[in-house]
Amino acid sequence: MKIAVFIFTTFISFSCAAEPAFLLRATELKKEPATDAETVAALAENAAVETVERKGGWTRVKAGTAEGWVRMLALRYGGPGAAKRGDSGASQLFNVARTGTSGTQVTTGVRGLDAEMIASARPNPAELARLTQFAATPDAAAGFAAQGELQRQQVREVK
Amino acid sequence: MIRLFLMAFLFAAALPAQAQFNFNINKLLDSAKSLRSATREIDQREEIAIGDDLAARLLGAAPLASDARLQRYVNHVGRWLASQTGRAELPWRFGVLEAPQLNAFAVPGGTIFITRGLLERMKSEAELAGVLAHEIVHVLQKHHLKAIQKGAKTSLAGDALGYALKDARSEARDKLLSLGTELYSRGLDKSDEFEADRLGVAIAARAGYDSYGLPAVLQTLQAMNAQDSGVALMFKTHPAPGERLNALGERMQPTLDAYAGQPQLVERFAAEAKSR
Repeated sequence: MKIAVFIFTTFISFSCAAEPAFLLRATELKKEPATDAETVAALAENAAVETVERKGGWTRVKAGTAEGWVRMLALRYGGPGAAKRGDSGASQLFNVARTGTSGTQVTTGVRGLDAEMIASARPNPAELARLTQFAATPDAAAGFAAQGELQRQQVREVK
Repeated sequence: MIRLFLMAFLFAAALPAQAQFNFNINKLLDSAKSLRSATREIDQREEIAIGDDLAARLLGAAPLASDARLQRYVNHVGRWLASQTGRAELPWRFGVLEAPQLNAFAVPGGTIFITRGLLERMKSEAELAGVLAHEIVHVLQKHHLKAIQKGAKTSLAGDALGYALKDARSEARDKLLSLGTELYSRGLDKSDEFEADRLGVAIAARAGYDSYGLPAVLQTLQAMNAQDSGVALMFKTHPAPGERLNALGERMQPTLDAYAGQPQLVERFAAEAKSR
């Protein structure tokens, strides 16, 4: 059973690496992730591509034999009118890991947050106290940001 | 009483210079207002108290993930984002819920939850920041609080809101909290979600993150089937991810592009947030 779960999770992460997508509009395939980069090919609206990686607002894609960058927001995953894909098995997978029996709840397994669970939940004050323990001070957060070389910027709000 | 009140009011209007007297009048006016408490503003102290009760209920549905290092990491990211906002003084707390579904929740008063299911689909700290910033906006703009108050006006009679706020053990309080928990399975107005996306992108950029974090998560969600058990509740309570991406493209393209080169922190995210 463990092996089956392992294979399943491996498959999930692999399928995330190269995903089928299509273009919302006619788009130029660029050699580099920049508007002024050389155009490798002209892609038509609804053209099917495979995504490879993202860099800022650009996604590297394979389109047939060509490879290059398109604007990330011009991409949608799946295919235009493609058949719905199946369940990711997120919940089932979790249950398997917890209980060893697909889809059934044994003892302390957490089914998680569906509407029914939220509606029927009783307050858990002990977990609330734990939550408060983990809170970070503004100073600690600023130090953490500095470690990550995050720099505060002036950004205008768009209402 | 009404006559006395009117007389006092006319008196005060006639003698505006008497500060001491005006102070008393203000007190009188305040108590007159609290009689119509179903329409009064919920103050910050009350917002935090309601938030505590709602957070305790959500934690009753799913506990915190046991990994203390992960919880501290998410609190660092979240607190840094919250420090860039107009409500930096709130007691901000962030928690990872042990649940396989993909979701995140904002609770009035400054409590934010994200599920482990959603965290495991993310690829960088910028993506985490994008989602936390979206949730932070719900608190800043009091989206849930306003929806709760609106619900209270129609379903709580007379001064029940006043009792609900004053007495944590009252029946009215229980009703108020039910209105709150309902929101987490029913969802906010679509316009609140679009606003949280726009302002959230700006907050993540202001905190120094790659501005495409939230769009990247929306794209991950868009790639999933809406019938998938992992995203069923999230899809039911939010506009479709494709619609949200379109809206961001229309309104936020200049902001997105201006801050696209900021750090994504892929390695730090992998080191701190991956399952152990």
